Amino acid sequence: MVKTKFLFLKILFSTCFILCLQYVVHGQTTTVTGNVKEGEKNLSGVTVQLKGISAHGTQTDPNGNFIIELPQIPQTLLFRMVGYKQQEVVVNDLKALNIQMQLDSSTVEEVVVVGYGTQKKTEVVGSVTSVRPKDLKIPASNLTAAFAGNVAGMIAYQRSGEPGADNADFFVRGITTFGANTRPLILIDNIELTTTDLARLQPDDIESFSIMKDATATALYGARGANGVILVTTKRGVEGPAKISFRAENSINQPTQNIELADPITYMKLHNESVLTRNPLGEVPYSQDKIENTLKPGSSPYIYPANDWHDMLFKDYATSQRGNLSVTGGGKVARYFVSSAFSKDNGILNVDKRNSFNNNIDFKNYTLRANVDINITPITQLAVRLSGNFDDYNGPYVSGEDMYYYVMHSNPVMFPAYYPVDEDFHYVKHIMFGNYQGNYRNPYAEMVRGYKDRTRSQMLASVEVNQDLNFITPGLKLMTMLNLSRLSEYFVNRAYRPYWYQIRGNYDSFTGEYHLERFNENGTEYLDYGEGPKTVDATTYSETRLNYNNTFGKHGVSGLVVFTTRQWIAANQGNLQLSLPSRNVGLAGRSTYNYDNRYFFEFNFGYNGSERFAANNRWGFFPSAGLAWVVSNEKFFEKYTSAITNLKLRYTYGLVGNDQIGLPTDRFFYLSQVDMNDEDRGSFFGENLDKGGPGIRINRYANEDITWENSTKQNFAIELGLFGKANIIAEYFTEHRRDILMTRSAIPSTVGLQAEVRANVGEATARGIDIQSDFMHSWNEHFWTSARANFTYSTSKFKVFEEPQYNEAYRSRVGHSLTQTWGYIAERLFMDDAEANNSPTQTFGGLYGGGDIKYLDVNQDGQITAADQVPIGNPTSPEIIYGFGTSVGYKGFDFSVFFQGLANESFWINPVETSPFQNQTQLLAAYANSHWSENNQNMYALWPRLSSTIVNNNTQTSTWFMRDGTFLRLKQAEIGYSIPGKWKERIHLNNFRVYLSGTNLMKFSRFKLWDVEMGGNGLGYPLQRVFNLGINMSFN
Amino acid sequence: MIRIMKTIVKNIKLKMVLLFILASFSSSCNKYLDIVPDDGLATLESAFALRSTAIRYLYTCYGFMTSEGNLDGDHGYMTGDELWSIIDRRESGGIWGGGMFNMARGFQTASNPYGNDWSGMYEGIRACNIMLENIDKVPDLPEWEKIQWIAETKFLKAYYHFHLIKKWGPIPIVKENLSINADDEEFRVYRDPIDECFDYVIQLLDESIPDLPMKVQSRDELGRITRPIAASLKAKIMVYAASPLFNNNQDQAGLIDKNGKKLFKTDKSPEEVKKRWEDALKACKEAIVICDEASHILFTHQGRVSVNDTIKLQLDIRNAITEKWNPEIIWANAHTSLGANGNLQRAASPNLQYEQYPDMPSLYNHIQPPLKIVDQFYTNHGIPMENDLEWLNKNPWSLRAGGDKDRWYIRPGYVTAEMNYNREPRFYAWLGFDGGQWYGQKPEVNDPIPSDMFWVASRAGGNQQKKGHDWGPVSGYSLKKVIHYQNRQSSATGYDVIAYPWPMIRVADLYLLYAEAINESEGPSGANSSELFKYIDLVRQRAGLPGVKEAWDKYSNSPRRYANQINMRDIIHRERLIELSFESNRYWDIRRWKKAAIEYDKGMYGFKITGSKPEEYYQKVLMTTQKFSMRDYFWPIQIALIEQNPNLVQNIGW
Repeated sequence: MVKTKFLFLKILFSTCFILCLQYVVHGQTTTVTGNVKEGEKNLSGVTVQLKGISAHGTQTDPNGNFIIELPQIPQTLLFRMVGYKQQEVVVNDLKALNIQMQLDSSTVEEVVVVGYGTQKKTEVVGSVTSVRPKDLKIPASNLTAAFAGNVAGMIAYQRSGEPGADNADFFVRGITTFGANTRPLILIDNIELTTTDLARLQPDDIESFSIMKDATATALYGARGANGVILVTTKRGVEGPAKISFRAENSINQPTQNIELADPITYMKLHNESVLTRNPLGEVPYSQDKIENTLKPGSSPYIYPANDWHDMLFKDYATSQRGNLSVTGGGKVARYFVSSAFSKDNGILNVDKRNSFNNNIDFKNYTLRANVDINITPITQLAVRLSGNFDDYNGPYVSGEDMYYYVMHSNPVMFPAYYPVDEDFHYVKHIMFGNYQGNYRNPYAEMVRGYKDRTRSQMLASVEVNQDLNFITPGLKLMTMLNLSRLSEYFVNRAYRPYWYQIRGNYDSFTGEYHLERFNENGTEYLDYGEGPKTVDATTYSETRLNYNNTFGKHGVSGLVVFTTRQWIAANQGNLQLSLPSRNVGLAGRSTYNYDNRYFFEFNFGYNGSERFAANNRWGFFPSAGLAWVVSNEKFFEKYTSAITNLKLRYTYGLVGNDQIGLPTDRFFYLSQVDMNDEDRGSFFGENLDKGGPGIRINRYANEDITWENSTKQNFAIELGLFGKANIIAEYFTEHRRDILMTRSAIPSTVGLQAEVRANVGEATARGIDIQSDFMHSWNEHFWTSARANFTYSTSKFKVFEEPQYNEAYRSRVGHSLTQTWGYIAERLFMDDAEANNSPTQTFGGLYGGGDIKYLDVNQDGQITAADQVPIGNPTSPEIIYGFGTSVGYKGFDFSVFFQGLANESFWINPVETSPFQNQTQLLAAYANSHWSENNQNMYALWPRLSSTIVNNNTQTSTWFMRDGTFLRLKQAEIGYSIPGKWKERIHLNNFRVYLSGTNLMKFSRFKLWDVEMGGNGLGYPLQRVFNLGINMSFN
Repeated sequence: MIRIMKTIVKNIKLKMVLLFILASFSSSCNKYLDIVPDDGLATLESAFALRSTAIRYLYTCYGFMTSEGNLDGDHGYMTGDELWSIIDRRESGGIWGGGMFNMARGFQTASNPYGNDWSGMYEGIRACNIMLENIDKVPDLPEWEKIQWIAETKFLKAYYHFHLIKKWGPIPIVKENLSINADDEEFRVYRDPIDECFDYVIQLLDESIPDLPMKVQSRDELGRITRPIAASLKAKIMVYAASPLFNNNQDQAGLIDKNGKKLFKTDKSPEEVKKRWEDALKACKEAIVICDEASHILFTHQGRVSVNDTIKLQLDIRNAITEKWNPEIIWANAHTSLGANGNLQRAASPNLQYEQYPDMPSLYNHIQPPLKIVDQFYTNHGIPMENDLEWLNKNPWSLRAGGDKDRWYIRPGYVTAEMNYNREPRFYAWLGFDGGQWYGQKPEVNDPIPSDMFWVASRAGGNQQKKGHDWGPVSGYSLKKVIHYQNRQSSATGYDVIAYPWPMIRVADLYLLYAEAINESEGPSGANSSELFKYIDLVRQRAGLPGVKEAWDKYSNSPRRYANQINMRDIIHRERLIELSFESNRYWDIRRWKKAAIEYDKGMYGFKITGSKPEEYYQKVLMTTQKFSMRDYFWPIQIALIEQNPNLVQNIGW
């Protein structure tokens, strides 16, 4: 690509050179000649200027030569070119000058990757966020974890910290549709891949990372671009001697916060209280004897068990390792980039030494990548890219997430995790797990009883031919590419069935003597085999592009036409319709025009076909157009350019689509789907009810009119460069999504339809702001500082939503955020039963009284029903994501911190999941400390009156359990040391850096029960705090 | 400049070439996207292309059948005052979710009603209509079979309507299906007046009865609808239509539709009211004739081993329900899965084999009747305890040990309450209790002796004592009635269940409906007086009891009580509540008689389960009180459905 750029420049500037000569050469002067090179390469188009007189200057020709007329000598000449450091040379004599230009690494990134190509940063009209790969380097094996706050225009947050299952949720400019698919299109080297593939990508392999946000940037992707596009390209070979880069990291992970549970004694006492407070005649589950003896010194822990399941199951910390090795280099004929990466994440689960297998999470990921570019002829280039990504997962029989669930939902005092082998059972080889009647969950047994293997491999191979068509017309190029990818994944479970033991009959509480009985005979001492699901799928993608790019004086013209086809087919789909291949065909084009690098115009279109829709609705056309004005290139602006180095205004407008509507299982809306063989719909007859047979179910009614979502997008942007040190890009966008697929609510159930009828009737709007800014300053040659900040705000609204005609205006979705929650307004807890009886009836089923939640009768009809639900809180998907950080460097040392936060988000504590005692749920310490009780009738306690069962009245979605998701966290801090130059040269070291970094180190939030970023998923696998030690080196 | 022009011209040429190439692409693209095989996909039409697929659609119509006898699916089983359970019982391994039990606790709501199968029933009705619309298209379906299938479908359509009426009262009748593309206004249907609802259901049944077979062609079709089933259901529906809840119900005068129509006629003349009963009488008679012809008779046990008369009588009574496809069962619901029936039996059964397998995990014994239901059973004279001359001076709560006379019913020497002695055989056949003998659940032997039988010791310390705070017993009486006598505990954790399809209508039910209809339309001494006493006495005779006249005249403090229509009504009602107890009938009968307000005010009592000595155990302990108001006679229409269709008027009080 770099090469291509120079070619254009060459042509541009040689033209200019000729034109310039005609005007500049006049008068009696001194002629100075010279040549400008970068290494061995002649540089064309370098501006040669007399210092102080900007009008007086010239440019180098295609051979790097220049001639300049000088009024007198000595004089100082300035040599300038984009991407290179400016040079000043004092001319004392008339000898030919030989100038060596130095690449300026701070401006190399001026090229931006856009859909199907690159554009110079000044040329970009659409809204594209480029992220420097190094900002995505965090000590985690999941790239998506780095998105939050780092990418302007992306709403991202992470809800789980389980290795292998910790993908962050991310949305380009927020959630802007209430249709099924809100995810952006993810393209890695132009190949559409999944979130998991993106997550596994190595930051070290990334050449560029771009987010396409507006219509102009995404229209090329037509019916797939409405949710934004993430475009990643991987590194390619660079000409030169082999350069080896190596990185190794070792991290320690621990939960950012663990949930605090009540101690066993409190658990038992409050469980008893929970029964008696609801029913004074009720029978308490724990005897006084049990409560008194549990945890008493000298009493048997097997007769009076008290398990801290959390400590039994989880270690305090886990470790993980990552390594990455890459080699790049090449010559005139071929260039290569080969990399391999390895990461190993260990889970936090304990392993029972009595087992011969490992039930802890051991998640290994390998990545291999080879990108090779070969010059077949001077104008034909062949590129071959191979990459493979391999997961090897070993973990517990159930997921790590489940283990956390089990800890939260297992009784701590009913039985011990296991009994020691005693005389009666001296012969057993298995672990004697405790249980009661074989009916309860023993989380320790669930953890150690077996393990699961999962293997996932994703392999991609592409071949690409780039043909220079300069012989037809300069600036014309043809590219064609074929990519094949295969994904396979399988699970295998191996587990034994535990034998359960319990204490038989009476025990002697004084001597601690007891006898065990085995409860079940169907256990095994050997491992059973269980097959899990298997995924096998294949994708074939082809792309052909014709690119044209040329400059005629002040007129820059480019054009692009792309034709793509994509097919995806998968095994094990379960029914005929789903087994058919998914296909997309797209034709897309772009044409740009600019005048004098001041005015830019761009038109894009996508024309897509999808096999999912009826023939008459199959094709969609998605045009967009945009304008940009680089004010700072205007003549009149010259006087400000020392302060405002760059000022650019942009505007785009266009249409993009989203064809991923309905669930993945909903293919072919234009066809009905009838299951001719549905066991659940059938009937059985005969002596033993085994005759008769399955029935017929209609899963979908045909609707030929269903088509994709359409999104009209507008983008306003301003780019500002200050003093050549700071850059700010601020954008404002609006979006109007139409034809959102939704269920027709107007069809009542008396019609008797078996499946929902859907239509493209929904509409939603969204708008927001994203700002990215950075600052860089070197105080002297040893000391530099930099800073950056990102801010994204996105808010959405239902515009058209088919819903019943509610009597209460506040129940309508229209005008509210797409992730708004409706619920009851909780006033407080009822003071006593009398107050509950005299208040409006709360119709949730079940008894309620003093200490239960009192809701507001919003419509004042004397009862609390669904009609009293109002929009409460902020959306569940945050509206604001931001991040800011700073780095300083002094000599070999560097130090950086990065803060990240979000705002305008509400989440709900799940009252059913945290409701203590029912379903053996544990008691949160916070609830134990603050609940309504007869002795302490606190009407504003955290938890209502205790109950040993679910109290429907208290588990409604309401403001009582609503919490503010706002937080700010120290997302990352890093300190590094690079060995200074003189040492390195001796051992051919190019770079050697050691660093210590930490992630999720601190957080600031009003919510204290768990890590607030997990939101409503707080009982799941916690987010991890990571301490990381790494080295990074490269050799020449 | 010339160079620039040239390039631009070249460009235009180039673009045209490109356009040409692309145009040729687009036709091939469409082919690329045509991936669906033209005639390879199943559609609804495929269902009616052949008999072999059309029969699946018939099965589909059957597939919406209600699930009586399924603890979670039966909306009249755990929902009333007949049974009580542990509120915070364990999640009993999927045995039952307890949702319906919440209705019994008075927690019904209109926001999210329990037992809300409104939509499911209308899906079933739509399926039946699709069947009726398309059945003529099946090319290889013989005419006789087509006629029969139509009749079966009409029966199902009638039943689904009736099920809705039973719960919601007046409902929108769906005679024909609406198109999916109909106007929103067309979708917004109104409720039809109650009498029109009943008349339409009866019309459908009248159309289907003559075309149905007297018996299924082979035993493989057991469970399919026959003429006796349809005739009996018609009889039952007619009795419902005549009952006070539906017939001239003054309480519902205010239920007026959005378009001003009264949904209940409340100004019926006595003749009009009576007409309903006379129609019911006729329908019952017709049904009895058809059932006789099809050899549906009251069941008596045919054993392979010889047992004494007492046990034989118990098996007659027990197996009338649990012996699958026995001749007494007119209609067995094949749709209630055998698994669900197994769950019911497990939830009801105490662990009788405690000595062998003390920690049986899958027997819960935690659905039990309250004392008022137990008290309802007669004395051995076939009359209520409070009317039995022998019982007038007895204290039912006094205690004594079982003697030789009672050895087949009560464990000899074991102390239990007086109220467990000298009760009618149905009491012993259908209930387990502290000290009660329990025949069965063992391999059968000739001439068993009392000490070989299982028995129940449910006081604290006994083998069937309360096992934990979330484990039965609850009131002290076990539901022996629903447990097949040959179920066995086969291992420490295994329980082999002999499951049976749930009896929807059996001969005794039909006989008692007939008796009721006669008494209501003409009193105990009208033209059909002899029929009235004949059929009620047939049921009592099988239960080992003297006839009504004999019993009341000989043993009661109120001879000739049966001579008065009102008292006879009580006698018939009580006979019905005893005979059909625990069969998902009481809930509906109490309602249609409008007796729920009185019955639900009585409170649910049991014994003091935690007592270990008899004196401690035999105390009347309140388990719960119930709440009932007028609105509870009918289900609420879910609020969301009314919001969807504002033309539906909500039932009164919700």
